[in-house]
Amino acid sequence: MQIDSLIPFIPALPLAGFLFAVVAGARLDRIPGHGHDAHASGHADDHGGHSGHGGEKHDSHGEADDSAFRPIPSEEEQRATSPHAGHADDLANSSGADGVIPAESNDGLGQAGHVVEGGPQPIYRSWMVPTALVGVAWVLSMIVFVAVIFGGKPYHVQVYEWIGSGTFHIQIAFLVDALTAMLLLVVSTVGLLVHVYSIGYMHGDRSMWRFFAYLNLFMFSMLLLILGDNFLMLYVGWEAVGLCSYALIGFWYKKPSAAGAAKKAFVVNRVGDFGFGLGIMMIWTSLGTLDFGQVFSRIGTLSPATITVISLLLFAGAVGKSAQFPLHVWLPDAMEGPTPVSALIHAATMVNAGVYLVARANPIFAASPTAMWVVASIGVFTAIFAAAIALTQNDIKKVLAYSTVSQLAYMFFALGIGAWVAAIFHLVSHGFFKGLLFMGSGSVIHGASGEQDMRYLGGLRDRMKWTYRTMVIGSLALAGIPIFAGFFSKDEILGEAFNRGYYLFYAVGVVVAFMTAFYSFRMIYMTFHGRWRGPRDAWRHVHESAPTMVAPLIILAVPTILVGLLLGLPPESGLIHQWLEGVFRGAEEAGILPGSIAAYNSALLIKPYGFSLFSLTGLLLLIGASVGLAGIWMAHRWYVKDPDAPARFVARIPFGLGPGMYAASVNKYYIDDLYGLVWARGGVLVGNVLWWFDAKVIDGAVNGAGWLAQRIGALARRSQTGRVQNYGLGMAAGLVLVIVAYLVIRP
Amino acid sequence: MLAVGVIGGGLLVVTLRNIIHSAVAMMVCFGSLAGMYALLGAPIVAAAQVLIYLGAISVLILFAIMLTQAGDANLPSPFHRQALVAGPIALVFAGLVGWAAISTDWHVAAVTVAVSVTAIATSLFTDYALPFEILSLLLLVAIIGAIYLARRPEDEELH
Amino acid sequence: MGLQGYLIVSTLLFAIGAFGFLSRRNAILMLICIELMLNGVNLSLVAFNAYLPPASNAGAIFALLVMAVAAAEATVGLALVIAIIRTRQTPEVDEYSDLKE
Repeated sequence: MQIDSLIPFIPALPLAGFLFAVVAGARLDRIPGHGHDAHASGHADDHGGHSGHGGEKHDSHGEADDSAFRPIPSEEEQRATSPHAGHADDLANSSGADGVIPAESNDGLGQAGHVVEGGPQPIYRSWMVPTALVGVAWVLSMIVFVAVIFGGKPYHVQVYEWIGSGTFHIQIAFLVDALTAMLLLVVSTVGLLVHVYSIGYMHGDRSMWRFFAYLNLFMFSMLLLILGDNFLMLYVGWEAVGLCSYALIGFWYKKPSAAGAAKKAFVVNRVGDFGFGLGIMMIWTSLGTLDFGQVFSRIGTLSPATITVISLLLFAGAVGKSAQFPLHVWLPDAMEGPTPVSALIHAATMVNAGVYLVARANPIFAASPTAMWVVASIGVFTAIFAAAIALTQNDIKKVLAYSTVSQLAYMFFALGIGAWVAAIFHLVSHGFFKGLLFMGSGSVIHGASGEQDMRYLGGLRDRMKWTYRTMVIGSLALAGIPIFAGFFSKDEILGEAFNRGYYLFYAVGVVVAFMTAFYSFRMIYMTFHGRWRGPRDAWRHVHESAPTMVAPLIILAVPTILVGLLLGLPPESGLIHQWLEGVFRGAEEAGILPGSIAAYNSALLIKPYGFSLFSLTGLLLLIGASVGLAGIWMAHRWYVKDPDAPARFVARIPFGLGPGMYAASVNKYYIDDLYGLVWARGGVLVGNVLWWFDAKVIDGAVNGAGWLAQRIGALARRSQTGRVQNYGLGMAAGLVLVIVAYLVIRP
Repeated sequence: MLAVGVIGGGLLVVTLRNIIHSAVAMMVCFGSLAGMYALLGAPIVAAAQVLIYLGAISVLILFAIMLTQAGDANLPSPFHRQALVAGPIALVFAGLVGWAAISTDWHVAAVTVAVSVTAIATSLFTDYALPFEILSLLLLVAIIGAIYLARRPEDEELH
Repeated sequence: MGLQGYLIVSTLLFAIGAFGFLSRRNAILMLICIELMLNGVNLSLVAFNAYLPPASNAGAIFALLVMAVAAAEATVGLALVIAIIRTRQTPEVDEYSDLKE
């Protein structure tokens, strides 16, 4: 069995799933209330935009079939029954469902929910083929992963020449080396689990077929991105995941906040993509090729300035896609999408594309110390910036969103200082535990009837046992507690920072680790411990989620616990280091600051092997672990033992800055407002100016031409008097003129 | 003398206010012209001039004026505003042609040559027989046309 | 008087006729001026015939023909003018402006 021939199937299968779902998906779901199944194109109804099902004229079965789906209540009704009734002023910080949209969902409008008992139950089948195809793709990915990692050599599969015009040749070809294999592992595993999870989560949604179609398209795009062997294929996958992100965030497109969030994601991404595109063009014009191998081997021939510019442009794309400052604003708003989307795209896959890009392009970055410095700085800054916001967020998904931004920042930090393997290691472990956390939060939301605001949760520990346990495991990993995955990867990053001489960044990283532990356990304590703070009748409905939702959580908990141990032990020389050594050979020296320990080591050609708790490395690990534990302890004190402590702390901050700092953090440091002012208002202003110019100047010129023609005509018309004598005079005058002219010119 | 008659008559035609007076001036002009033709040794032309112009056309014009009472119109000025432009143009034209006439060396004989009636008659019926015949046709057409154009409408209602 | 004298007279007569045609307002008077112009031309024809005799007296014959044509034209022209004056009740040429834009 040729591994080479399997590789093209990995992205092809989800693509087939997408096409299948688009063509046949809608017909596979049978949802009562539409009339009968004989509708030729059932999805036409889905798009019909019914605002209520009460009065459908083509419903030949009468009103009875609608009993399974109550109409969406009006805004007033929603507000009256929502747990936020009476807390309207607190809504500034929470997003998600404004008010609770009860049980059923309507296409494009609501959350997923359950179907009301007693009516005819809908039948969902549209998930089957896409999930199965993704499952097969997962199997193939695992086979390829094993083959690459343990076979030791990368696979390079040419499929065919896509573009061949003049000197511009682009192949459709796949490159699978250790880096791609690691990402394949994360993407296909989490992808498959999200598909399974969505079967349960999206139950009740009328457009389930559309969801699975988009999910499969996303898998295709992401796989194309990581499997491509040239920059253009990467870019195609890159753009396509942006498109899928738009489609999936705005899945409930009738909700204005969701539609707006989708647009925001796409537009902000586009800003980064613009830089990325320029970077690719620059690569093309300076090197004449976009193939990875050729580009990396020839990169040394360019001037340092060119290399720096190229790397900064490529990094701009990564900033957009991976939501780093200043293009981070789309990620929290992207929580408007269904939770499986958040888990897949914004935790485990799409946002990793930026990290993958920088890691893949490591020869380019390694050749430009300036670019490395920029990457590291933005990484560090974003890490603490996002963590500072996550401290005060009340929406459970927002906490996770900012946490994602912060952890991605850690990865860029690692890339920027030259700890390439550490970054990828953190990428892998983060993919697992953040996916777990997001899906867990989805389970919480589902079980609590749509409530996302943690102030109105609490006490779920006993009712949602498995969700609780897996979320705790995930949070322990996020906080960097030993044994769990996050510990090894995060502390390796911090250790490398110290070793390579970035002492200030190291200190900031430690602070961020503390904050991370704190806010993740704040989330746990507020959600699961204490007493239920939501509405009384909602408490009756709180339940553990369906097995299709809990099973992926349990499955993901396993790598969350084990990945660190398996791949990262001993530190800096574990399995993952051996696997990825080939990819980053040549770039390992980059980023080492002179005078640091790593510089000393490399000068003496010492590669640290073996591990002892009493070495410097051990000390650093200890610092990391204790900081994490301190964060957990702090959260415990403030949210379990002594709930008034936070308020007292804020009041005690000197100079009365406390409330202001809190407000700033809650409002995301006003970055969104700033952007709204500068870009949105500014854009409108520019638009108005241009409109004025177009209407007055350009149209004025065009209209003026017409006006001029009219005036000239009116003037000329006066010679048409209709009187013979005037015409005769003209003739006589002309005759005389001709004679005179003749006499003047001729003699 | 005759030149004065011609030019003077012409000027009077153009400047007199009353049409009938203008018509009379025209007749004076034609008469002087007839004299000029005679002096130039073309008595047949002079005779034709008297017959046709003085005898027929002038009468015709006077009849037309009488029929339409055109002369009764009392106008503030008989001239157009464009007379101010027409005058200079006419003068320039006259000047140009006159200058051309004067400055050309015509190689003329000193004495005029008289034309005999026989010679004209011969030419008319031999060399120029075709124009002669066509002319008669033209006159026929003119007569028919004039009769048609100038008749009163047959029904009493004017449109 | 000499050929040039006759030519000058002829030219002047033509110019006077042209001036009158272009500047008088009465329709019939315009026709009269046309006749003047034709006569001016006739004079020059006959003058040339006398001083520079052409073959077979073409000048005099031409003058006769012109006269005949002038007669025909005067006839038709007057018929037209009469018809117009009858319809519009005025000999004012200014009023005949139906072709005005």
